Amino acid sequence: MRHFSIFISSIAMSAIIFTTDLPQDACVSCHFEIDQDKDVDERSLTNILDDIHIQKGLGCSDCHGGNPEAFDDEDEAMWDVDSFLGTIERVDQPQVCGVCHSDPIYMRQYSAHIKTDQVGQYWTSQHGVSLKEGNQNVAVCTDCHSVHGIFPVNDPRSSVYALNVPETCNHCHGDSEVMEGSGLSNDQYDKYRISVHGVALLDDMDISAPACNDCHGNHGAIPPSVFSISDICGSCHVNNKDLFKDSHLSDIFLNADLNQCEGCHNYHDILTPTDEDLLWNDKDNCVECHQEIEDVANKMGVKFNNIITELKSKIDLANEKVASAENMGMEVSDLFFDLEEAHKILIQTRTSIHSFNLEHVSETASSGYKSADAAILGAEKAMEEFDFRKTGLLIFSIILTMFAILLYLKIKSLEKNK
Amino acid sequence: MSKQNRKKFLDIILGAGATAWFASILYPISKYLIPPDIADANVTSIEVGPEIEFKRGSSKIVRFGRKPVIIIRRKNGDLKAFAATCTHLDCNVQFKNETEQIWCACHNGFYDLEGKNISGPPPRPLAKYIVRVARGIIVISSEDMA
Amino acid sequence: MSLYNWLNERIALESMTKFAKKKQVPVFYGTVWYYLGGVSLFLFIIQVVTGILLILYYQPGATTAFESVKFIVSKVEFGWLMREVHSWSANLFILFIFLHMFTVYFAKAYRKPRELTWYSGIFLLALAMFFGFSGYLLPWNELAFFATKVGSDIAGAIPVVGDFLLRLLRAGDEVSGATLTRFYGIHVAILPAVFTVLLGIHLALVQSQGMSVPPEQEHLAEDKRKYMPFFPNFALRDLLFWLIILNVIALLAVFFPWELGTKADPLASAPAGIRPEWYFMFMFQTLKLIPAHVLFIEGELFGILMFAMGGIIWFLVPVLDKKANQNIRSKLWKWIGIMLVIYIIVMTVWGYMV
Repeated sequence: MRHFSIFISSIAMSAIIFTTDLPQDACVSCHFEIDQDKDVDERSLTNILDDIHIQKGLGCSDCHGGNPEAFDDEDEAMWDVDSFLGTIERVDQPQVCGVCHSDPIYMRQYSAHIKTDQVGQYWTSQHGVSLKEGNQNVAVCTDCHSVHGIFPVNDPRSSVYALNVPETCNHCHGDSEVMEGSGLSNDQYDKYRISVHGVALLDDMDISAPACNDCHGNHGAIPPSVFSISDICGSCHVNNKDLFKDSHLSDIFLNADLNQCEGCHNYHDILTPTDEDLLWNDKDNCVECHQEIEDVANKMGVKFNNIITELKSKIDLANEKVASAENMGMEVSDLFFDLEEAHKILIQTRTSIHSFNLEHVSETASSGYKSADAAILGAEKAMEEFDFRKTGLLIFSIILTMFAILLYLKIKSLEKNK
Repeated sequence: MSKQNRKKFLDIILGAGATAWFASILYPISKYLIPPDIADANVTSIEVGPEIEFKRGSSKIVRFGRKPVIIIRRKNGDLKAFAATCTHLDCNVQFKNETEQIWCACHNGFYDLEGKNISGPPPRPLAKYIVRVARGIIVISSEDMA
Repeated sequence: MSLYNWLNERIALESMTKFAKKKQVPVFYGTVWYYLGGVSLFLFIIQVVTGILLILYYQPGATTAFESVKFIVSKVEFGWLMREVHSWSANLFILFIFLHMFTVYFAKAYRKPRELTWYSGIFLLALAMFFGFSGYLLPWNELAFFATKVGSDIAGAIPVVGDFLLRLLRAGDEVSGATLTRFYGIHVAILPAVFTVLLGIHLALVQSQGMSVPPEQEHLAEDKRKYMPFFPNFALRDLLFWLIILNVIALLAVFFPWELGTKADPLASAPAGIRPEWYFMFMFQTLKLIPAHVLFIEGELFGILMFAMGGIIWFLVPVLDKKANQNIRSKLWKWIGIMLVIYIIVMTVWGYMV
């Protein structure tokens, strides 16, 4: 009778079971029968068929324990089996996942370069440390990777795919109830979203732009400290880091326990810096510390701004002249090389400010002046050429008009003779 | 002036006018026929300079038409050339002699000496240029002409 | 004078000048129309001269065409002038052929015995338009590339032979470097050869039959009709017209240069505002307006068939307009002509407005 009922329910069951990779073992046949009146979502089984573990041939018992061969007997299948875990407690997750994921020999069969340090890393993270201290209100494996629909990190459907990471972290970190008592705010996502990185990642879909994990680490998630922040930012912004490290400000920041990059650029809401930030105004970051020695900082920032403004206005002038030469129909496409070069140097000059060395900044800018001047010169030459054309046209028209008048007179005289 | 003379005079200056007109057309045409200094229409190849002056383990960025091109001389003497504009944003790349890699300082992007993007944000490889040495002079040319 | 004698003994110069001097040009309100054909001829001469000069530096081919045109306009002295004059003169060429055709039409100059002049003229117009179409692609810029794509697509819509024609025109299934080479050959070798022969026939017919006058003039008594000698009176006036046209072209070349634009990229998506050249605009606009299906056939095909029919009727006007041969103006054909002019103008303006 029991066999028969399994048979019937199997037919009645959602067709996915038969048509898919789900192992046809005791777990599946019973649990789909028991739970058949619940819908798939409720059983947190969304995407289970595409789950990387199922795809690789693992079954329920590989995580939850039990005997998948025991079709007839509940006790034989679960309760009497020593390895049976059932629902895995949050506290236990790192160990359970780590059984495989921390075993280099086991994991090697799936990929030669697969990492196995995730659990070890996890215990160093703030999440792991708190979990060890008995705080259950922290992220464990499934909070980031989801439960039964786990995808590899480079699968766009994955909750830890670069574009999805900010949303995934924000699931907890943006929830004031979850974060209560942690001493953390819950506005990181909102700040990140408007930052230069957030815009690049989430609006421009540039997956090379940093998501949360690129600064905080993947499994060893921790906020960067005073000592590491310039290295973390510097892993992409190399020039800025090197210039700053060599500058006189570097030690001063360290000694004063100031976060180097963050001191001026903030964190999370790292906005695109503007040249006006260098001016001595309310927005100026220098003001925070340099209140007493106003004059020095004043000079420095304003001088940087002057250099950049001059380069910018030269580039603007060059753009304008090249555009107007182009509008006259002159072939000036070669000048765009110089314009692009000047623009590159403008960016370099902005970067060079991190040296806080006036000489270095003005030296960098000077080659930009050269490129811009070359473009201006070329455009002016093109405009001179246009004037030459106009003069030529004038001479040609005069000759032509005179010839035409003479011809007209000749015709008149011919007709008079007649 | 008699009527006859006036007619003759008109014919003469008419002839002069025709000659001037003809000359004003011939002038640009004859100028046009003289080939310009740069003999070829295409920037499909440029001379970079003598090979002996180009030190091993160094690089330089040269102008190739509208685009900058980085030419690299490896430690072993091999010559390589690539488009110098990083494929991520628009910074110019540089050659790192120690690791023999091409590096973009703006966001720490790396390319190998085949131009392939190997780490950092660059989404695509650098376009390759062909380098040849003809009579001791380094010449680079664009690949689509090969 | 001795050179004249020397030549005269060899090529009968005297009889030629005698012929030119004896040739009479009727003088009446429509004499000015007679200049239009001459101006078209002059523009053709400009095209030949500047075209030959451009060949000296132009390099056909997908990787060289654009670069060589850029080289001509930026590096070769007066190269810009040659290109601008060639482009402007090409446009005026077609404009003047159109004007010439319509004045001939309304003056009924196609009537017996000048049917052959009309036929050859229509062929010359078709060739000139094909000249324009093939030359447009040669700079290998984005606009030209896509205009050629669209233009040759229309050829592909012709039933039965469409696919074959399309491949023949494009030298393959797509517009490519091979198309460019083919268009270059058509533009500088095939068309000039055919055009010159036809033009020779056209001019020989005009010379041997003399100028036509409208029926009303022919009805006048001989003593009421006025003439001037073709040479030198009319020829000098011709020259005067040509001078003015040349100056206008020079003016346009300096102040309204044709942009070279960006190089064609076959993989790029079509830029906005792809338009054919203005003399194809009325047809292009019509094809756009025709609904997708007309009487069980595709709209585009319907349009092409209508244009083909219209073209054949227009071509056969000397046969169809029976009254003209009796020196009577037919009201029907006058109105057909007027409607056609209005249609072309309205469609062209409409095409540029949207």
